[in-house]
Amino acid sequence: MGDTVVDALVDASFTLREGEAVAILGPSGSGKSTLMHLLGFLDSPTSGEVIFEGQPVAVLTERQRARIRAEKIGFVFQAFNLLPRLSVRANVALPLTYLGETPPDAEARVDRALELVGMSNRAQHKPGELSGGQRQRVAIARALVNEPRILLADEPTGNLDTKTAAAILDLFNELNRLGRTIVVVTHSPEIAANFSRQIHVLDGRVMEGAA
Amino acid sequence: MKRLFSGVMNGLGEIWGHKLRSLLTISCVMLGVASMVVTTGFMEGFFSTWEVSLQEAGGLEKIAGTPRGLSDRQAPFAPVSRGFTMDDARALTDLVPTIGVLSPEIDSSSARLSHRGRRHDGRVQGVTNGVFEINRYEVAQGRMFSDLDMHDHASVIIIGSEVRKDCFEPGENPVGQFIDVNGVPFRVIGVLHHYERFYGTYNTLDWKNDIAFIPITMMASKVQHSDQLSWLNMKAADLGLLRETVDAAANVLAQQHRGLIDFRVKTNEESLASYASTKASFVIGGSAIAGVSLLVSGIGIMNLMLASINERVREIGIRKAIGATPFNIFSQFLAEAVTLSLIGGAAGVSVAVGMIRLLGAALPPGSEPLLAPSAFVVGFVFSVLAGVLAGIYPAMQAAKLDPIEALRYE
Repeated sequence: MGDTVVDALVDASFTLREGEAVAILGPSGSGKSTLMHLLGFLDSPTSGEVIFEGQPVAVLTERQRARIRAEKIGFVFQAFNLLPRLSVRANVALPLTYLGETPPDAEARVDRALELVGMSNRAQHKPGELSGGQRQRVAIARALVNEPRILLADEPTGNLDTKTAAAILDLFNELNRLGRTIVVVTHSPEIAANFSRQIHVLDGRVMEGAA
Repeated sequence: MKRLFSGVMNGLGEIWGHKLRSLLTISCVMLGVASMVVTTGFMEGFFSTWEVSLQEAGGLEKIAGTPRGLSDRQAPFAPVSRGFTMDDARALTDLVPTIGVLSPEIDSSSARLSHRGRRHDGRVQGVTNGVFEINRYEVAQGRMFSDLDMHDHASVIIIGSEVRKDCFEPGENPVGQFIDVNGVPFRVIGVLHHYERFYGTYNTLDWKNDIAFIPITMMASKVQHSDQLSWLNMKAADLGLLRETVDAAANVLAQQHRGLIDFRVKTNEESLASYASTKASFVIGGSAIAGVSLLVSGIGIMNLMLASINERVREIGIRKAIGATPFNIFSQFLAEAVTLSLIGGAAGVSVAVGMIRLLGAALPPGSEPLLAPSAFVVGFVFSVLAGVLAGIYPAMQAAKLDPIEALRYE
C-alpha cells in the first residue's frame, strides 16, 4: 500500500535487429507488456533510452512517433483492442487512414490482410459477433494492413486453440521469412521455441538466451 | 475534402451509436437555432412593415409645410398673414432651387362622391401632379392631370381604389364616366393603384386608397372659392440638400407670411430616428437571445462530447497505438461535434420554417414573421460556430490522452 514505486523494468538493455524473429518470454507480471509498449513508443522509460533506427525516440514529437507507428510498426494486443462499433473490415482498414495519405490500393490491401488471416468471409461482421480466435485474427490483419516492417504481438495465441495457434505462428514465421521483424510477447516457452531468439524477462530484468 | 467527409461519416456513426444522448443534444441545438431564426423572422417582418410605411409616407426627402397656431406674442397680428396660398407655392418654386418637387394641396376632408346611386364619403384633395411623386401615388388606370386640366380648372377627377369600389360595379371601368362630388359632376380620368400593407387586420396604407384628386385650380376657384392651401409638401432635389432646403423654405415662407410664424416645416427625420433607435435595440436584444441560445447549445454539445470521450478513452488509446497523431484524434472529435451541431442546425432551420409558416397562417398579416434568407445563413453559421467552439476543448482533451494510460483504461 502507499506510494511504493514499482519498477516494471530495470536494466533492460538489448538490441533488436531488422529481420529477427524474437520471443520475449516471462511469467505474467514480469514486465514484458511494458517492454513491448516501450518498443512501440507507447510508453517512455523513466530512465535510459529507446533508440530506433539510430535515433533516440525521446527526441521525437508525439506526431512523429505516431507516424512511425502508423508506417513501420504493427501492433497485436493481448486484448485484441478492436473497435466494437466498426465492422471487421473497417477495423482492419483503420491504420490506413492514419498514413500520410491513403494509398490508392487501400481496398486491395484490406482484402489481402483479411485473406491472409482467413477472415474474408466475416468482413461485414462486428467484432462482438466473433469468437476470441476470430477476433485475434482480425487484430493481426489490422496489424499487417500497413505492411509494417516490425510486428509487435502481445500473447497473440493466448486465446486460440492449438490448431489456430499453430496457424498463426506459421503465419508469423512466413512473414519473418519475407523480411519482417517479428517480436512476440508470451508466457509460454513452447510458443517462444518457435522463434530464433528468446529474451527472458523476470522481475523486470532482461536476459538473453534459450529457454 | 475526402478526410472531412470520412470525419463526418465517422461522426454520424458515433451519433447513431448513442441515439438518445445524441437526440437530446441535437434538440438543444435545434431549439437554439429555431428560436433564433423565428426571432429574426419576427424582427424582419416588423421592420419591413415599418419601412414600407415610412417609404409610402414620402420617404426621407419629403418636407412638409403645415399650418400651426401663432405664438401668444404674434397672435394679435393674425390678420396680417393669409396662411398658405398658391402664392407661397410660386414663391418657393422661384426662390428655392433645391426644391425638386412641390405639391400644394387643398384638402376637403368630407366630401360626398356618388355615381348612379352608389356613394362614398371621404376626402377629396385639390392637387397638382406633384402629389403623385411626393406622396407616392401611382395611377393604375387612366392618366394624371394635364397642363390643360390645370389651366382650364377642368372638372376631372382621379379616384382611389376605395372610391372606385364604393361607387362602381366590380368589373366596371370608371375612366370616362362621371362622378358627382357634392352634387357637381366630374369626369373620372384615372384610378389609383390599390395600396395595402396589413398589420393585423388593419391596412396601414388604407388612407392612400380612401382619396380622390381634382386639379387644385378647380378646387380653389369652384369649390373652395379661395386659393388658401391646407398644406404644402416639398421634396428636396437631393437628400444631401435636405437641411439647406428646409431652412430656405422656412425663410421664404416667413417672408411670404409677413414675418408671422403660422407654419411649421418638418421632415421625416424624426420618424426615421425613432425607427433607427428601435431597430438598434431590437438588434441588441436579438443578439442577446442568439448568444444565450449559442451558449445553451454549446454546453449541450460540450457535455455530450466530454461524456463520449470519457467512454471512449480506450478507443482513443487504440487509435493512437495504431498510428493516429494527436491531430487525427483532435479532428475526429471536432468533426463529431460539428456534425452533431450541423444536424441540429438543419433540424432547427426546418422547424423554424415550419413554425414561421404556421405562425404566418395563424397570426394576422403584418405581424407575422418573415422567412428571411439571412435567417438560414445565420442558422447555419450559428450551428457550425457552436459545434466548433464547444468541440475544441473536448477534442483537445482527447488528443492529449496518453496512449498507454488510455490502453490500460478499462
